[in-house]
Amino acid sequence: MNLNTKATAQNTYDAIVVGSGISGGWAAMDLTKKGLKVLMLERGRNIEHIKDYTTAMKKPWEFEHRGKLTEEQKRTHPVQKRDYPYTEFNESFWVNDLDCPYTEVKRFDWYRGFHVGGKSLMWGRQSYRLSDLNFSENAKDGHGIDWPIRYKDIAPWYDYAEKFAGISGQVENYPHFPDGQFLPPMDLNVVEKSVKKRIEDHFKRARIMTIGRVANLTVEHGGRGNCQYRNLCSRGCPFGAYFSTQSATLPAAVATGNLTLRPFSYVTEVLHDKESQKATGVRIIDTETNETMEFFAKIIFVNGSTLATTQILLSSTSEAHPNGLGNASGELGRNLMDHHFRCGASGEAEGFEDKYIFGKRANGIYIPRYRNIGNDKRDYLRGFGFQGGANRSNSHTGIAEMDFGGDFKDLISTPGKWNMNLGGFGETLPNRENKVTLDRSKKDKWGQPVIAIDCQFGDNEFKMRKDMMDDAAEMLEIAGMKNIKTFDNGSAPGMAIHEMGTARMGNDPKTSVLNKWNQMHEVKNVFVTDGSCMPSIACQNPSLTFMALTARAADYAVSELKKGNI
Amino acid sequence: MDRRDAVKSVAFLIGGALSATTIATLFDSCTQPGKNSENLFTEDQEKLVTEIADIILPTTAKSPGAKAAAVGPFITMMIKDCYPEEAQKAFVKGLEALEESAKKDYSKSFLEIGVKEREILLRKVREATISSQKKESEEIAEAQKLEETKAQQQSAKENMDNPMAMKEKPAKKPQFFAIARDLTILGFFTSEIGATKAYEYIAIPGKYDGDYKMKPGQRLFV
Repeated sequence: MNLNTKATAQNTYDAIVVGSGISGGWAAMDLTKKGLKVLMLERGRNIEHIKDYTTAMKKPWEFEHRGKLTEEQKRTHPVQKRDYPYTEFNESFWVNDLDCPYTEVKRFDWYRGFHVGGKSLMWGRQSYRLSDLNFSENAKDGHGIDWPIRYKDIAPWYDYAEKFAGISGQVENYPHFPDGQFLPPMDLNVVEKSVKKRIEDHFKRARIMTIGRVANLTVEHGGRGNCQYRNLCSRGCPFGAYFSTQSATLPAAVATGNLTLRPFSYVTEVLHDKESQKATGVRIIDTETNETMEFFAKIIFVNGSTLATTQILLSSTSEAHPNGLGNASGELGRNLMDHHFRCGASGEAEGFEDKYIFGKRANGIYIPRYRNIGNDKRDYLRGFGFQGGANRSNSHTGIAEMDFGGDFKDLISTPGKWNMNLGGFGETLPNRENKVTLDRSKKDKWGQPVIAIDCQFGDNEFKMRKDMMDDAAEMLEIAGMKNIKTFDNGSAPGMAIHEMGTARMGNDPKTSVLNKWNQMHEVKNVFVTDGSCMPSIACQNPSLTFMALTARAADYAVSELKKGNI
Repeated sequence: MDRRDAVKSVAFLIGGALSATTIATLFDSCTQPGKNSENLFTEDQEKLVTEIADIILPTTAKSPGAKAAAVGPFITMMIKDCYPEEAQKAFVKGLEALEESAKKDYSKSFLEIGVKEREILLRKVREATISSQKKESEEIAEAQKLEETKAQQQSAKENMDNPMAMKEKPAKKPQFFAIARDLTILGFFTSEIGATKAYEYIAIPGKYDGDYKMKPGQRLFV
């Protein structure tokens, strides 16, 4: 090798973290806290906490299009515009799809943000632990491969993640729904309290309804302010009241003095040395100058988010790894999963006309999974949870279709009907045929090959959706709701923005990419701790698990480094 | 045959192999903003929009109306920026038709007739819109039924493979009155006047009370 040693020394760190979202930010924090000099690479621009949340304090009338998209924005964001998150309110947090195309063998919605903090700025913040039911189900029913860990392996790391991130929630002592280290819970409103009581009484707590466990602070925590009940989180929080890289992990990493953050650094490849069988660093494109550069480190954490991580690893080919880094198993890019949702029921609550809600709660209710547990056996495997809530809208009974005029205006200025809705989030089975490959026939703005995504839901998911609708309607019925309507708006993979599984953990290097420490079987100094590591996805929102797995892997990586094993 | 029909029949010919996405993408290329957006409306038509909005949400004893909240200019700006050419055309055509009906019924411009006459004319447009939308929905339902039967015969297996495919919402014809009403409601209640005088705007609630006792004359919190 003919290395320019001076440049190498300048560009050498103890560890490189690829990506600055929920898991990347966490890896950078824990590695720097343990004394490592860390370079965190982010392909997009920097967003400074508070200062760069340019729309956070804007009033509704200060948005020219009042949140709507222009035809030009729809043209440049053909994927982002497919669902509700992309709006004028946080327009700059979403990618221009024309710059970074991908191939949809079947429809797959890929929602992305290229900036420091990644999706930690726009995430839904629901934070649930997985349980031993989830960790053992692959082995039990034979779909996918067994998780190499069990709940006891991750439980202390959940404790740590919750304590640092600040998760508010209610202890429930309910089977397969582990409690955690919670800040005080947010309140249920008057209708939700009634619904909760009637459901729990009817099912004798075989089903429960609880307030969402959410990464919003109900009290000041770790120097961050508490939630102000504006429900404008996705614009960035000027109070630092929800967990994001910017509000939580980045300041902690910066405080160590060990972090170098480099935005505009698109990692195209992890560099590998055949002799030592280790990764030596990464190659990037500086997206401002288009210059190619290399950085070196003893440990590489790849946290680009599931699909971007997959793209980087598939692109990291060498003589020793012709099919992508650490891909001797052929599982890299396979087993792509996302939750299926947009299916449930809603109804109207009567008898609460004298009550209303003050404040906007950035959280809803949660009904944890109860299907296929114990003696319950369905014609499908796994299960689902419900999210939802009650609210009072401006919709009133007896308004004529397309009405207008003064009386109409005065009426819709006042609180109208109470509505309670339940929407299911269902587990998707791991399936090798749901896969990501490189499509070299197409290039992105930076000349890199794109990925092709070939993924669809299957029969198990389809069957589950009937229960998701019927159970929701049944519970609303039990809760005394009126005018109950079920809905199934269809669900395309990617829409839940919970894509996972393409570099799964496992005990057997023949069938998995990572070991039980999120360490590559074949390349011991490479760790992957974003959603791609998941052998199954349960039905809970996953980000808390990424935090816990990242913390656990960082701890292991540093101890291995100290022992001289990597 | 318009572009949408053309694409659909292509998709049908090749056995439905075009994904929903591809079809959507093809459609998207037909929804460029109008080329002459800048000069879309005459000065009189801009005035007309302001007056229409003020009939839809007028000043009442409780709060000022759409005109006070400058909803007219908001609507014309939105039509220019956020609507495809087809909808822009339908909207302008609707304005022209309304003006014509004012001349026919009252021998005057819409701008010259009284509030009562304006309301009568708009009620007529509303009724026509409702019945036209109803008819269209029936036609769509009919066409879908036919297509489903065909699809079942042709590719039952394909449906089995992907039973959760997103149901494409059939594109409905843009309706002048529906757009005008939607944009008036959006523009008014998100304006400073609408949000603070019709609704009660609270920038930073600071707390959550889910058992809040309604006050007399309670307005919606935003």
